[in-house]
Amino acid sequence: MSKPPDLLQGTLDFLVLKILALEPLNGWAISQRLTQVSGDVLQVSDGSLYPALHKLEQEGWISSEWKPSENNRRAKFYTLTRLGRKQLDQESANWNRLSAAISHVMRLKET
Amino acid sequence: MRIEHWFYSLPLRLRSLFRRSQVDQELNEELSYHIEQKASQLIAAGMPADKARRAALRSIGGLEQRKEECRDTRKVNWIQDFLQDFRYAARTLRKSSVFTAVAILTLALGIGANSTIFSVVDAILLRPLPYPQPDRLVRIWESSLKYDSPRNVVNPFNFLDWRDRSQSFESMAAISDAVTNLSSHGQPIAVPGMQVSPEFFSILRVAPFLGRAFSHADGIPGQDRSIVLSYELWHRQFGDNRSIIGQKIDVDGVPCEVIGVMPKGFSFPKMKAEVWTPLPLERTDDYKSGRYLTVVARLKPGVSIPQAEQDMLRVIDFTQQARPDFNKNWSANVVPMLEDATHRVRRPLWVLLSAVGFLLLIACANVANLLLMRGTGRLRELAVRSALGAARSRLLRQLFAESLLISLASILVGLLFASLGLSALLALIPQSAPLPRTEPISIDARVLLFTFFASLFTAVLFGLVPAFRLSLIDLQNALKQGSPRSGVGGHQTLRRIFVVAEIALALLLSVGAGLMLRSFARLTSTDPGFGTDHLLTMHIWTSPSRYSDNLKRSQYFDRILTEIRSTQGVQAAGSTHFLPLTDMLSGSCFAPADQPAPTPAESPSAQFLIISSGYFQTMNTALLAGRDFEARDNFKAASVAIVNHAFVERYYPGQNVLGKQLSVCWTLEKPAEVVGIVADARHAELQDAPEPTIFLSNAQAPMYFATLVVRAAGDPLQIARDAEAAVHRVDPDQAISDVQTMEAVFSNSVSSPRFQTVLLLVFAALAIALAMIGVYGVVSYSVSQRINEIGIRVALGARSSDVFRLVLREALALSAIALVLGLLTSLALGRVLQSLLFEVTATDPATLASVAAVVLAVSILAAAIPALRASRVDPLTALRYE
Repeated sequence: MSKPPDLLQGTLDFLVLKILALEPLNGWAISQRLTQVSGDVLQVSDGSLYPALHKLEQEGWISSEWKPSENNRRAKFYTLTRLGRKQLDQESANWNRLSAAISHVMRLKET
Repeated sequence: MRIEHWFYSLPLRLRSLFRRSQVDQELNEELSYHIEQKASQLIAAGMPADKARRAALRSIGGLEQRKEECRDTRKVNWIQDFLQDFRYAARTLRKSSVFTAVAILTLALGIGANSTIFSVVDAILLRPLPYPQPDRLVRIWESSLKYDSPRNVVNPFNFLDWRDRSQSFESMAAISDAVTNLSSHGQPIAVPGMQVSPEFFSILRVAPFLGRAFSHADGIPGQDRSIVLSYELWHRQFGDNRSIIGQKIDVDGVPCEVIGVMPKGFSFPKMKAEVWTPLPLERTDDYKSGRYLTVVARLKPGVSIPQAEQDMLRVIDFTQQARPDFNKNWSANVVPMLEDATHRVRRPLWVLLSAVGFLLLIACANVANLLLMRGTGRLRELAVRSALGAARSRLLRQLFAESLLISLASILVGLLFASLGLSALLALIPQSAPLPRTEPISIDARVLLFTFFASLFTAVLFGLVPAFRLSLIDLQNALKQGSPRSGVGGHQTLRRIFVVAEIALALLLSVGAGLMLRSFARLTSTDPGFGTDHLLTMHIWTSPSRYSDNLKRSQYFDRILTEIRSTQGVQAAGSTHFLPLTDMLSGSCFAPADQPAPTPAESPSAQFLIISSGYFQTMNTALLAGRDFEARDNFKAASVAIVNHAFVERYYPGQNVLGKQLSVCWTLEKPAEVVGIVADARHAELQDAPEPTIFLSNAQAPMYFATLVVRAAGDPLQIARDAEAAVHRVDPDQAISDVQTMEAVFSNSVSSPRFQTVLLLVFAALAIALAMIGVYGVVSYSVSQRINEIGIRVALGARSSDVFRLVLREALALSAIALVLGLLTSLALGRVLQSLLFEVTATDPATLASVAAVVLAVSILAAAIPALRASRVDPLTALRYE
């Protein structure tokens, strides 16, 4: 019942959009890709992935269709939409600004 | 951006709304695909199949809850949830029909009472008057501090000056009410009428239904031979005959042309009229004295009431300088018409509306308690639903849906109560009682709207509080402990608070009702100073054309009285120009005849009444000294007067007033000698203490009209027909109106305090009944909570009387707190009631004490039933009960 904190939620959305920017994937594949790219640094439970996907779809950032997967079973594939692309660009810019600012702060020497 | 967003999401939402099962099916498929993939990955890594499958399921972390989270993202879920909640709520409510019935009935009582009273408040106080731009309409009164009369009728000369010299008004009209004698099919009928300035209808901006309204020419003296009829009179007496326009009918013996018929339902606040005739006014001596006109005006656009008042003060300066003797100390008072029409009923109606408001609060507290009680019993059900994935907000919504359903059902039942209540309430108002407004009182769209919002408010109040309270409980624990009676301690506190509030409010209402009852008893046991039994009254208004001069009129009245006195069954008869207890009074200045002539501004004043000989005998008013008017005090004889005890006390204390000569402004031509002193009687209203009064003889200063009072040997209504026949023997064309017994007049005069008292009593009784249910509920619930404890006590040797006291103590404590709170509130709110009370103070200790005793007794009674049950508990059963 409890929801992950906003930062993680936002980050998960961002990661999913970024992953889907490369190619359309189904939920299982996204979860695999998430583990691959973020390694052990970001623990994303499989459970929170699906509500996040549904939310992104409702926002209109990704769309879905049913297609045969690699093992020839029907699976729901998600694709980034034009709206999602815009959102990703915007969030990337935000992210870059934020991380630049943070690393700038971190470089400050303690006196 | 927004539009593009909808481009993607709208189809999705529609799909999830209308193809729900398919969407859910896809959700299942998507998630199970994931789980299967995960499982086969784990199997590939060497895990046994069944273990892998469990691990895969766990990795999702609560499959059903995840599904619900996914559904929640669809945003249209609430519609389905809403419907589902309602279906579920309806099912649960049906299953516990006793609870549902009690809750609905309780609320319906509260809602019904509120809708009933609101329909009256709305029709009388809130709704604008039925004329175009009614907020621009004002009434203008003369006002006098000296006579404590802020709304005094107006002198004709002053009216003419106001009309001609003021600048704030589009136009101004004067009204004089009069009974008009019409002749219809050869039968004389008396019809209430208004004489009005020609501008009257154009000020109200109401056009006639047929024909035309008055024009300027109709108001010119000597040309005032036209008449406008009400729709109702036209329908009743003239059979909807459109060709009546232009025809002549006899009005007070003079042929007048019917020029118009007003639309259906047209009326003027506080004045009954079925015909309108022109009021010709001119600056002649006839109109110089006396105040008897009602003035209505329409403000010019943009002019405010204070501006109009300023303007009127300027005009008053002029009238005071022009006629100082008459106008000194008299000012003018501009009052919005709606306020003017309703100022006497405003406070009683608000008091009644607050009373039913309190009643509704009590009902809410009661139902809230019922819901709490039920809610604790349902903890397990809620815990199970929560474990199955229902979010806390969803549980709240579910509980709220039940409250809303109860509310909706109670609206329907409440409206049924309201329509029954309204007809009962309207039946309480006597037909002849003067209502400030004549528009029909009914349950219409505005009342429905009010009812709807009132019930919505109650649903929120009684529904959300327990629901919220319930949601604070640790549901997981409730499931684990398995006992439905655990973890609910907080509830009992809340329930006690509700019950205390109920008793306190019930006490508040009962104090109000008690005070009104006491005041009403005082009022009706007041001795009016005359006997009301065996008296018949009837009003006659003479035709000005036939009995034009005073001599003719005095002889006419004499002949009528002689004729009536000779009728069988009549013991005595007399006449007065204003009947007691009809809220009509007339005043006049006077001075001893050996002093300078009296003027209204400088001289003392007294009430005066024009009566016939035999009036006091008929009314059973004692003659204290001197003599009554006699046959020898005729029109040509020396003028005589009778005064009352209060007059002597005020102006001639300790002196012999008999034989004194008085100059009375009303008939200044010749001074009158005081020949008698009578006991005091109440006049305009029963609650007004007797005023100094001068009685003049109808034989010497006859009025145009008189009310005959006839004392009958038996039932006064039995002789009504004979008395009317006696009048018609003198003049077959004389119309007679208002034939009623003096007892009816008396009863009508106290109809509005009776109305308030009866209603407050009913509301207080309902409030006490509801509070009783509340006390009963909370005590019996706490008994069921403590049944174990009680069982142990009994097993250890407690006697049943100990148990009885133990349980009762709780009810006593609650009632004690409530009594203190209720009494304090009553004291604080008392001054609101004070102006409605007669000879009783709002803090009357006897009333407060007796009401508190009744409420206390009733709450103990309500608690005694469960206490008795507790005292008979069998320890074996009680201890086994789990």
